[in-house]
Amino acid sequence: MARDYVAFKGTKQGLVLWLDPQAEFSDIVNQLREKLSRTKDFWQGVTVTLKESQRKCRPEEKRQLEEVMGEFGMALREEPEEVVSIGKVQEDQSLMVDRDNALIVRRTLRSGQRVHYPGSVVILGDVNPGAEVVAGGDIIVLGALRGVAHAGAMGEEDAVVVAFRLQPTQLRIAHFISRAPDDADLPEPQGPEIAQVRNNLITIQSYST
Amino acid sequence: MAGRVLVVTSGKGGVGKTTTTANIGAGLALLGRKVCLIDADIGLRNLDVVLGLENRIVYDLTDVVEGNCRVRQALIKDKRTDNLYLLPAAQTKEKEAVAPEQMKALCDELREDFEYVIVDCPAGIERGFKNAIAGADEAIIVTTPEVAAVRDADRIIGLLEASELYEPRLIINRIRPQMVRKGDMMGIEDIIEILAIKLLGVVPDDETIIVSTNKGEPVVMDKRSRAGQAYNNIVRRIEGLDVPFMSLEEEGLLTRLKRALLGHS
Repeated sequence: MARDYVAFKGTKQGLVLWLDPQAEFSDIVNQLREKLSRTKDFWQGVTVTLKESQRKCRPEEKRQLEEVMGEFGMALREEPEEVVSIGKVQEDQSLMVDRDNALIVRRTLRSGQRVHYPGSVVILGDVNPGAEVVAGGDIIVLGALRGVAHAGAMGEEDAVVVAFRLQPTQLRIAHFISRAPDDADLPEPQGPEIAQVRNNLITIQSYST
Repeated sequence: MAGRVLVVTSGKGGVGKTTTTANIGAGLALLGRKVCLIDADIGLRNLDVVLGLENRIVYDLTDVVEGNCRVRQALIKDKRTDNLYLLPAAQTKEKEAVAPEQMKALCDELREDFEYVIVDCPAGIERGFKNAIAGADEAIIVTTPEVAAVRDADRIIGLLEASELYEPRLIINRIRPQMVRKGDMMGIEDIIEILAIKLLGVVPDDETIIVSTNKGEPVVMDKRSRAGQAYNNIVRRIEGLDVPFMSLEEEGLLTRLKRALLGHS
């Protein structure tokens, strides 16, 4: 497809769905479905705001959009008055994975807290068990990573996860998944470690510059 | 007079919130403070039982909020301590009978008359929790040395931060030193490392608690009980005193003898 009729953008209000004002609505729907199916795991449970400043949608069209997104476990909402989210995202930034653009989280993520960002994520604190970080790019934790981390969530297999203490419940890079060994007596890591995909396996080694 | 409003919370059930509330309340009252305990666990009230005051309940929290009675009519004076009062929860209503704003107004009204208002929070993170924390300016988190309890405590700390209740303090309940030493139980350091909040006290697992809870007598009044001693220390730390943490090791004859001879612990 030559042109992008549909785009997801990260804004202060979270993810926003932008629609080409000139395109045929059927093309929009087709492209939306195609885009979502390429990276379907990423979208599960995500809520997207419909941006209508350039293209106003009829209720019938909105229903169709909602239907497509529903297939991928997503929710669509109208532009809200206010959104509370810990993962604040920079204005007007394309969702295309942009690993040089990082979200800095200056706190510890506790159980039940979740950060979701299309670029890379840097946590200045710990990621506790029960917390979750999902990033399109790399994940760097300046502390202990004990929760779930998913780097390269939109398919980037060369994304990495680095932590001062890498003890995740589960580690995902692109579509690769690994989990902590059931054997709890394993020695604790001494110093920072890096996780990356090698030969179709997530491997962990000590990180030294 | 504007008293302090404390909420005792945990996320997980059965870790000892109610026992802790009762003992902190009784302990503060023994120090001469005027204390009001609020049972926010509407529908599953327990605090009245632990204090042995169940048979004195006429009005409850919901009656006060709904305007069926004045606060003073619902307050029950403790049978042992002069300065301790209880505002019981309704047993036949549900959490939704009270709104967070109403709880906040109630706490603010009570803090005019009491030096401490201590709210016993129900388990869970739903309406009951939101009610309990609505009027509080300090939070005490109770956990036991179990992975699930610590996990829930962590979640609660996050939720408290979101509600702008910062710097909660931690009570680790039911620790068993022998098990920790053998590596069969999480130690204090392990818990602090994950939760990263200030420790208010450690209460050893103690059979006298079960006896006292069933009898409706807070263990803090029992001078011989180690758990009672731990609660006493917690109470004094809440008062702002710098109390060293007591050794959790069981004192053998030899250590006691040594201490007596050498004059230190």
